[in-house]
Amino acid sequence: MSIGIVVSKQNADGGWPYVRGTSWTEPTVYAVLALLAAGEMEPAKRGLNWLLAGQLADGGWSPHAGVDESTWVTALVALLPPEHLGAAFHAQAIAWLMASKGRESSALYRIREWLLGNAAPPDQEFAGWPWIPGAAAWVGPTSLTILALDKEQRRKPTAAMGARIEEGRRFLLTRMCGQGGWNHGSVRVYGHDSDPYPETTGMALAALRGVRAPQLDRALPVARHFLAVCRSADALNWLRLGLLAHGQLQPGFRPSAPVAYRTLPDTALNLLVAEAQNGNPVFLGV
Amino acid sequence: MNGKLTRREVLSLAAGAAVLAGCGTKERRPVVPARVAILRAPAYDQSVYDTMRRLLRGQVGDVRGRHIVLKPNLVEFEPLSSINTNPLLVHAAYEAFREMGAATVRIAEGPGHRRNTLDLADAAGYFKIIPGFEDIFVDLNVDEVTRVRPARQFSRMKKLYLPNTALGADLLVSMAKMKTHHWVGATLSMKNLFGVVPGGIYGWPKNVLHWAGIPECIADLHMAFPRQFAIVDGIVGMEGNGPIQGVPKHAGVLVAGRDPVAVDATCCRIMRIDPLKIGYLQLVSGSSYARLAERSIEQTGEPIATVATAFELIPEFQRVRLEA
Repeated sequence: MSIGIVVSKQNADGGWPYVRGTSWTEPTVYAVLALLAAGEMEPAKRGLNWLLAGQLADGGWSPHAGVDESTWVTALVALLPPEHLGAAFHAQAIAWLMASKGRESSALYRIREWLLGNAAPPDQEFAGWPWIPGAAAWVGPTSLTILALDKEQRRKPTAAMGARIEEGRRFLLTRMCGQGGWNHGSVRVYGHDSDPYPETTGMALAALRGVRAPQLDRALPVARHFLAVCRSADALNWLRLGLLAHGQLQPGFRPSAPVAYRTLPDTALNLLVAEAQNGNPVFLGV
Repeated sequence: MNGKLTRREVLSLAAGAAVLAGCGTKERRPVVPARVAILRAPAYDQSVYDTMRRLLRGQVGDVRGRHIVLKPNLVEFEPLSSINTNPLLVHAAYEAFREMGAATVRIAEGPGHRRNTLDLADAAGYFKIIPGFEDIFVDLNVDEVTRVRPARQFSRMKKLYLPNTALGADLLVSMAKMKTHHWVGATLSMKNLFGVVPGGIYGWPKNVLHWAGIPECIADLHMAFPRQFAIVDGIVGMEGNGPIQGVPKHAGVLVAGRDPVAVDATCCRIMRIDPLKIGYLQLVSGSSYARLAERSIEQTGEPIATVATAFELIPEFQRVRLEA
């Protein structure tokens, strides 16, 4: 698979669609990262311009031009190198993420629950990140935000950012499924254990890079099993990245059966993971 | 008296007549029963194509030149489970609408937990069963959106973005699975519309709907789509801890009609669940619950009593069991 496929799917406005149609923030970020890694600067610059034009007044980004609220995709934008995105834009994205957390972790909610006599459940002890402001924290946006903040922390460390990353990682560890691995973030329902998903297992493992915790002894075998049996391009991309983050991906790994790369994020992320396997830190940082 | 009416008298008479006419209309307004068809369908085999054809010809009306969107319930990567609407049934509806002269028929869904929709559809058997699936499928999680305000709002959602593919359909066909649900009791054609809410904006899960109230949001979505048709896949449904972790339950029926409220109320009775105790059905049917009454629903095909089979309920929902 070549970077030419990514270039060929760029919209006239400079952004990228998921499959076809108008431009969205998520595929555009992945495409720009893949282009930067490949040294394709002209289409990357047009993609960056599309992203810069889409920043909202609060410093965050919406998923699509038709939406007027900043959401989880701000974490993806913050993965872009500041030297390409622009230092001020990048700093605003990081600031937006630092100010965001799941609704169940807000002071107002916790006071309300305390007044009602409701004890906080263990999985709400630590703050993660929501998909959209006003909702609870989940594994997907928490993992993506940790990836962005961790990349920034390796560049310009601060105590506050280190504390949020640490808390976010604790959130992930409390949301691990009983058998190991992660789903969207619901561990048990009415006493029944929930099953993990391949893609979120890979995402969470990537966000837990450098962490030493006994829970990972259960999570890593689950990820290796998913890697062997899973046929989803998105899942395989995240599983490779997650296992790579823990030094558990076999060098030169290739899926044993053909994989369909159906969306732009599937294609671009596959290229980025291949770069990461070759030691290029454009996605995860140094 | 000269027999002529003054202008004041004419206006007074007209006003009085209007009031009387209005009162009369209100008092005499006939209750038009919603039609719901129940057809036996023992298995997912080639016979469902003919069953679906009969079901739609008898219920859906003229769809020539219309743009149809089929919205299945596609949740998990498991072709042999009873979680998803069976792809054979979706293909049968696709073929039937095309035979009936629909201008376009598309299949659209936005799964609530899994982001890789096309991979999910592939694993669930949709690519294998439905030729050219990728060309006729729209991932509603990342479709173009419009900000809408439902005709009547029940939840606290301040704004709601919905996908243009669903909003622009002449007929949105909710193809739900007959399942119990651990938050709302039963998930049928109305709850199935959670899948039109775009995950690309609201996330996976679409958690803002939970904060705003699940029954209330189901009612909002029902109001946001006035041109609907409902088909519920009850050939093999799910009982117990649905909508994902329950166990398969064979009911051997397809239930369909133009009014999703009546269809869902009928499905509840088939499952031996009291529709009057399901929160979202209460909300949309008003204080009298008249729309939910059996006498308000014109049943065709099989009588409920001949196909009813009690779906097992988790302890938290024993209270919705339909009493004999």
